[in-house]
Order: sequence, then structure tokens, then C-alpha cells
Amino acid sequence: MPRTWLMMEQSPDGGRAPYVARFESIGRRLPTTRLTTEELMASTRHRTRIDLERLTGIHERRVSAGAEDSLSLAAGAATDCLRRSRYGPDDLQVLASCSITKYRDGLTQWLEPPMSLAVAQQIGATNATAFDISNACAGMLTGVFVVANRIRRGEIDCGMVVSGEYISQLGQNAAKHVRHVLSDELASLTLGDAGAAVILERAPQGGPGIAVAGFTTVSEHSRLCLAYPARHDQGARMFTKSRSIHRVAIADTPVLLHEALDAAGLAITDIDHVIPHQTSARAIRKGMKDLCEALGGAPKNPAVVTVDHYGNTASTTHFVALVEELMAGHLHPGDQVALVALASGLEIGVVLFTVDDGLVSLYGHDA
Amino acid sequence: MATTLDPPAVATLRWQVRPSARKMADKASRAAIERAGLQVGEIDLLLNTGLYHDRNLGEPALAALIQEDVGINPEDPHAGVHGTFSFDIANGGCGVLTALQVADGFLQSGTIDHALVVASDADPGHGMAPGFPFSAKGAAVVCHWEDGPSGLVGFQWEIVPEDGDLFRSRFGFERGRNRLRVEQDPDFGCRAAAWAGRTATSLLADHAIRPADVDLVVATPLTPAFLEGLSTHLGIGSERVVAVEGAEHVHTAALIVALAAAEEQGRLNEAHRVLLISAGAGIVVGAAVLVR
Repeated sequence: MPRTWLMMEQSPDGGRAPYVARFESIGRRLPTTRLTTEELMASTRHRTRIDLERLTGIHERRVSAGAEDSLSLAAGAATDCLRRSRYGPDDLQVLASCSITKYRDGLTQWLEPPMSLAVAQQIGATNATAFDISNACAGMLTGVFVVANRIRRGEIDCGMVVSGEYISQLGQNAAKHVRHVLSDELASLTLGDAGAAVILERAPQGGPGIAVAGFTTVSEHSRLCLAYPARHDQGARMFTKSRSIHRVAIADTPVLLHEALDAAGLAITDIDHVIPHQTSARAIRKGMKDLCEALGGAPKNPAVVTVDHYGNTASTTHFVALVEELMAGHLHPGDQVALVALASGLEIGVVLFTVDDGLVSLYGHDA
Repeated sequence: MATTLDPPAVATLRWQVRPSARKMADKASRAAIERAGLQVGEIDLLLNTGLYHDRNLGEPALAALIQEDVGINPEDPHAGVHGTFSFDIANGGCGVLTALQVADGFLQSGTIDHALVVASDADPGHGMAPGFPFSAKGAAVVCHWEDGPSGLVGFQWEIVPEDGDLFRSRFGFERGRNRLRVEQDPDFGCRAAAWAGRTATSLLADHAIRPADVDLVVATPLTPAFLEGLSTHLGIGSERVVAVEGAEHVHTAALIVALAAAEEQGRLNEAHRVLLISAGAGIVVGAAVLVR
């Protein structure tokens, strides 16, 4: 019987899972078109009087101007990831696509064949076993958990987790319906489009990597955020009880992060960077303040915030932010990073990893 | 030592005009947990592989709703007990086999004690899917790690993108609303059988098992074209391939439905080497050996 609330894996872990998985390369694809919050709010059908930028801290987000969809964003991110990697597409043994949206050819949502096959085909990953994972905004980190499990046991040497989220159309749909600040479609106005991909591999013997990964579903809150295909509009609509989700996250995350830190033998003060799910800058800062109070300390740096300029890019947010931090030279070998997932479900997950020389050097910075 | 499957459970909602995929998944999950002799709280991992459900919910994972409905550790984290992690796996008609491999991985590493794999499909309703082609059916199975010689001992997969157009399912905007369109070429069953036969033969060779030594083949889709073609390509007589009357339109739940039928017929208990095979859109084919 697991001893923790989280379903958790710690690496290395004896004979049944003797290896450690590490992030070998990370890539992303962002549409070039920027949509400011001011422009988006000017497009609402009703006069809302909502100062969304002040409420969320989101100044702008990247949006597809029509040429990008879930597949092109995912395949673009996978190509960017491979460009930095020492692996070729033929080397990938597993490819897990973890997006919520599976739009191809514009706003056609493909259910079968799975998105992963289309990504594998576009990048030439001819030897990869491919399948899709769907776990809302925790999708990519769930994929990391699943692929890392195979690496830890020695079943595979490397695999890719990828996602492409074409979700700005939910914002366009919400703009037709939002009337006031309590609207349950307000969160849809925070969304932005992005693709992200990560290659995981077996770390060298004794080398750093993912020390702990743990996830749980607090399902009594499973209906706080629901998304469906729109009935009379193209794309989808999402209905969110944002305040309730925030309240549950603040209540539940500290105990779960504490479990993960305990397993890794770390305290919150040992963590250099926390990368939370990017919902709103204000919610992240308030959440971190409460988290630090509950854990009796703070990480060495403020929580990473990219939502202000990319919006909430759903399942891709952690890896979009990781690339941002790596490119900016903010991550250094030996840094301890906590990726914290919070998603509709209610899914809460923690991935603790140590930054290594190889990852830093991929982004033009000296190890 | 290997991952072992507990007795599977199948659910239908006979008296409902439009059965809910979620409610069938709930019913099958409860029954599978009971058949495994467990309390609901003992499930550590819940994997849903059904694709067509109420209003085609995109978020959250349907698995989270099933977890709450069935009452599998739905509450906020608290000391002294463990929670449950739930998410969806989508791989068309191969979803259950993929989920069994994922569950097997976490059981092998000792991360969990029990996983529940559930699948169900039904018309999403709300006029979204005129002519919905699949039977409303749910099924679930619990798996656990056992120290004995029986269990799942190997998986093999193949993807055949050149036949990818033979089965496609899409939600698109038509005549003012989002509609589901499922297109399945009449040749899909025959083509999938040929690829599945090749993959399964390779898996058997890897495990030094001759086709003659296979006692039972549990394979999906449960269409005559696929099962007959598979029997021919494997060189295994059709009497050793499980057929389930009236189940040819069961989709993602089909593998568990076939396992349940084999169990009910007493064939699963008598079999020593069972070959599990699934084929789905892509074409994706997967095979696994279950030793009992």
C-alpha cells in the first residue's frame, strides 16, 4: 500500500526501478500573432466593464491567426525539441501526445486515429509506440510520469512527451457570452496557444534527473471546470468556477508538495525555482504566499510567471516556462526545480528535478 | 511475477433511451472492484480509455468524474491513507491494451497495488452524433501484481500509417453545429487483421511460443472480418478465437467484453497461454501474452 496520498515515484528506487529519468531536451512552438488583453476585451459582445489585465496580470497571449492548430503546434514543438537533442526521431521509443485539444485542419477535433500518431508521422518517429493521454492541464506532466516510469524500469531509453494546444478559440467564444466578472467563462479569456515537447532519457549512472514525481486526483472537485464542444459555435466552450478551484488548490497543494519534498529529502527552502501551472499572475503570487506560510519557508526565487505574456497555455505551460527560463539563463546546473501541476479534475501533481549541465548547455549558456 | 487481471465486469444501461457512457463506466467500475474482492478505496490508479461520452467532454479527464461517482478516495488529502490518481488514455480500439501496459508499468515498479482500467462509449447526445455507429457498452477490469508465474508477460506494438485513412473519427462544424463523423472503410477489418497477425506472430516468437501452444485468442474489434482474418494470419483455428455474439459494434470496451465472455464460458480459466490483440484506427495494432 502506498504510504503517501500522492501516487509517487522516487528515483532511483531499488531493483524494480533502478534508473533515473532526465529531461534531455525541451522545445516549444508559439504562434507569432499577439493578442493583448485590451484587444480581447474590446471584442466582447457585451459591455463587461471587466479590467481583466488587472485581475489576472495577463497583458497578452499568443494566438493562432488560422494557420496553426493543435497538430502544427505539437509537431513544431517536437521539431524544436529534436533540433536541440542528440536524438533523432528514429531513436524515440515512445511518443505520448497529451493535449486537451486535438484540432487538425483548423477546428476539426480528431478523436481517431490519436493525435500522437499524426505527430509521430510528421516528425518521422517511425519506431515510437504512440498513444494519447488526456488529463486537462496536467496532461504533459502526466505524460512525463508515464514515460519516466518506463525509463526508470529500464524498459526504454528515451521517449517524447508532446502537446499542442489551440485554445484561443475558447476565448473568442467566451467573448460572445461573458457579461460580468462572475461569469463562469471568464477563465477562457486567459487562454493562449502554444506547443511544447520534451525528450526524456535515462540519466547517466549517479547523474541527476527527476528525483520525485507524484500525482493525485481530488475528484470531489471534479466538476469545477468543464469544457465541451460548443453547440452553435466552432471550437469549444469552458465553464470554470475559478474561485473554488483556487480555494481548493491553496488548501490541498501544501500537504502534497510537502509529501514530495519529504520523499526527496528536501525542504521548500532548498528549491531554487517553482514553476506552477500558469493561470493568472495574481493567483500564482497569492498561492505562493499561502504555500510558503503553510510550509514555513520560501523557495530561493519567486515563482516563475510566464502567464503575463503567454496566457494560460493549458497542458504546455510548464515546458513553455522551462524553455523561457533556460533561454534567459535563469536555470543553472544543480538548481532544484519544482513543477507543480494544477488542473481540472482536480489534478494536483509535483515533479521535482535537478537541472544538469547538459540541459543548460542546449540553450546557449555555459554549464 | 507479473501483472494479473481480476475477473472483468461488463455494464449496459438497458432501459435508458440514451445511455450515458459515464454511468456505464461507473457501473462497470463498481462491479469490477467488487469482483476483485476489493473496497473502492483500494484502487490507486484509475485509467479510462473510453472515447465517446456525454457531450464529448474535453476537460477534465472522464476518469476523474468516474472516480468521484464511484467514491474512490474522492476527498481532500489527509494523513494516514493514500489517494487515487485518475486520467484518460486515448488510443482508439487499442486504448484498453495501452492502459494495461501503463498499469503494468506502475505495478512492476511497485508504485501501486491496484489499477482499474475502464472503457465505455455511447452516443454523446445533444444531436452531436447522428448515426453514431458504436454500441452503448461499458466494461472494467482491476489488475494487481502477483508473485506467481501467471500474468501479462509482454507487449508489442506496430503502427501502419499508410492505412491511416481506413478509420477516422472527427468532430467538425457542419450546418451550424459541431457534429461527430465516424468513417470506417469496409476493408478496415481485413487490413487490421493482417497487421495484427504479423505483430502477434512476432510477439509469440519473442517469447518462444508456437501458435499451436496458444490456448485462447482474445482479440478486438469483435467483427467477423477481423476475427476470421486474424485466425487465418495467425494460423490459429477460429475455435480458439473468442467471438461474442452481438458485440461487433462494441468499440473501446471490446477487449474487456471479450475477456468477460471468455471467462463466463469457462474458457479463460482453462487456458494457459492467452493472446490479447487489439487493432484500432491508425492503423495501430498491439498484442500481449497473458499466462495463466
